[in-house]
Amino acid sequence: MKLEDFSILVIDENPDRAAIVERGLVESGYTRVSRIGTSYNLVERIQALAPDIIIIDLENPDRDTLEQMFQVSRVIARPIAMFVDQSDSNTIREAVEAGVSAYVVDGLRQDRIRPIVEMAISRFNAFDQLRRERDEAKAKLNDRKLIDRAKGLLMQEKGLTEDEAYNLLRKNAMKQNRKISEIAQSVITAFQLEF
Amino acid sequence: MSLKQVRLGFVPLVDCALPVVARAKGFAEEENIDLTLIREMSWAAIRDKLSYGVYDAAHLLAGIPLAARLGLGGMPSQRIAVPMALGRGGNAITVSTRLYQRMLEADPAAMHGPRGLSARALKKVIDEDRAAGRPIMSFATVFPYSSHNYELRYWMAAGGIDPDKDINIGVIAPPRMFDSLRNGWVDGYCVGEPWNQRAVFHGDGVIVALKEDIWARSPEKVLGVREDWVQSNPDTVDALVRALVRSAEWADQPENRTELAQLLSGENHVGASFDILRASLLGRPVLKPGDNPIEAPDRHVFYRYTATFPWLSQGAWVGIQMQRWGQVDASVDFNTLISDIYRPDLYRRAVKGLDVALPHDDWRVEGVNDAADRAFVGPDAFLDNSIFDMRNFAGVGG
Repeated sequence: MKLEDFSILVIDENPDRAAIVERGLVESGYTRVSRIGTSYNLVERIQALAPDIIIIDLENPDRDTLEQMFQVSRVIARPIAMFVDQSDSNTIREAVEAGVSAYVVDGLRQDRIRPIVEMAISRFNAFDQLRRERDEAKAKLNDRKLIDRAKGLLMQEKGLTEDEAYNLLRKNAMKQNRKISEIAQSVITAFQLEF
Repeated sequence: MSLKQVRLGFVPLVDCALPVVARAKGFAEEENIDLTLIREMSWAAIRDKLSYGVYDAAHLLAGIPLAARLGLGGMPSQRIAVPMALGRGGNAITVSTRLYQRMLEADPAAMHGPRGLSARALKKVIDEDRAAGRPIMSFATVFPYSSHNYELRYWMAAGGIDPDKDINIGVIAPPRMFDSLRNGWVDGYCVGEPWNQRAVFHGDGVIVALKEDIWARSPEKVLGVREDWVQSNPDTVDALVRALVRSAEWADQPENRTELAQLLSGENHVGASFDILRASLLGRPVLKPGDNPIEAPDRHVFYRYTATFPWLSQGAWVGIQMQRWGQVDASVDFNTLISDIYRPDLYRRAVKGLDVALPHDDWRVEGVNDAADRAFVGPDAFLDNSIFDMRNFAGVGG
């Protein structure tokens, strides 16, 4: 079977992550990649697509439904979980940690499957990294806003200059071993109480 | 003494109570365990994370350790040990209000008789559908290797229904059950509480049989731990079992049930409404929208009746059901295999020194409702009064 002949189905409740996985697979030469989100007629859709490999996020509750489907062999052409080869326990562990699971039609050779699963693992990890960075950036921006607001209040209510207001926040943060944004939040809360 | 970290995965159901209580009421900490609870929405996910070391311990369906050992579901064989059970009860079979009306019209006598035999009415509805050329109905359970699947099939078979031919039985994760019934994707299901009471409270479903109507001593959830973890952390296993057994004792007291409902209603635990959880936990479930609650004192049994003891005969029964429904080859000898998975020896070791009453043997003949040990093990009748003696299955076919 040539790469482009593999039919791969990506099931993910997160459409952004599914798109990243799909793009990775297409860029590696797999052309028959489809993706679906959560759907109540999952069994019918899978039967219609007849994938050779299903990549699904590990925590997706649809997995319980899939496992039933695979246990009843008459429903689909004997697919089984990827986790068949004991010698592959490192790949499995990496997959579980990355939050990837995969189901594979019986009879596909392990060496043809591994690159696909590894691609999914690396894309899941990359997605996690992106999300972490985005969350951190958001948190930083939020901190900045709090500090600016607290500075504004101190300048307005206590007649401090901007530098003095910032130094006051910093000094208190160091003394209390807390983040400047936390001190800023307390300042804001305190001034709100007075109003 | 520093606390030992234990990560435990659970699925949002009333029977996740023991780990929740162990953490919230300090029983884990008293055993020097820092218990981290992680909520999972799927049994496959919890099995995989336990198997590959993301979790140290898990709230599992009684059949999962057996299926994992046999490498069912495509995973390589996993050695998961069961040092204790996490209580009994809590499941029910709920049908849509529409199907309930049809069952009532088709066979009022069956619907007013013992609930364990209410499938006779379902059989009549199935016959009507067949005669009219209508498509077969769909029911759902929570996992292929769940006690729910075996209870639903037991109930149907006793009513003359062939669950493999007369009906579709699919799988839906517990938190999605209610929506599936409400949206008409399934006609009925077997799931643990609070997902039955929820359908009744919202007017979408009627409970036609309780777990205890099918088999009063039927096994439910167990504590699963990897065998290698048991070997390298024997003291932690003992401490965890002790903490959970003491939690069970607390959770079984009627005066603590309201507080337990409050605890479980939190979004990070079960996340269902307090009223629904309390109705179930007080043993006063409502079976039909608008009805008064019934008295079902054994709806949730956490401690009494040896509900935390990992009875070999209960585990073997699950294995025999796997064979009955063609999931496992008849040559598998569950009578031997079960004592390698269910570990009453670990339970006995852990509770030594605690005031926990222990049975003399690790197994018993199940289904004898008036057995000499009735007060100790609780009501024990199958809906068809059958007797399960695991010795009859020793080395079946192999």
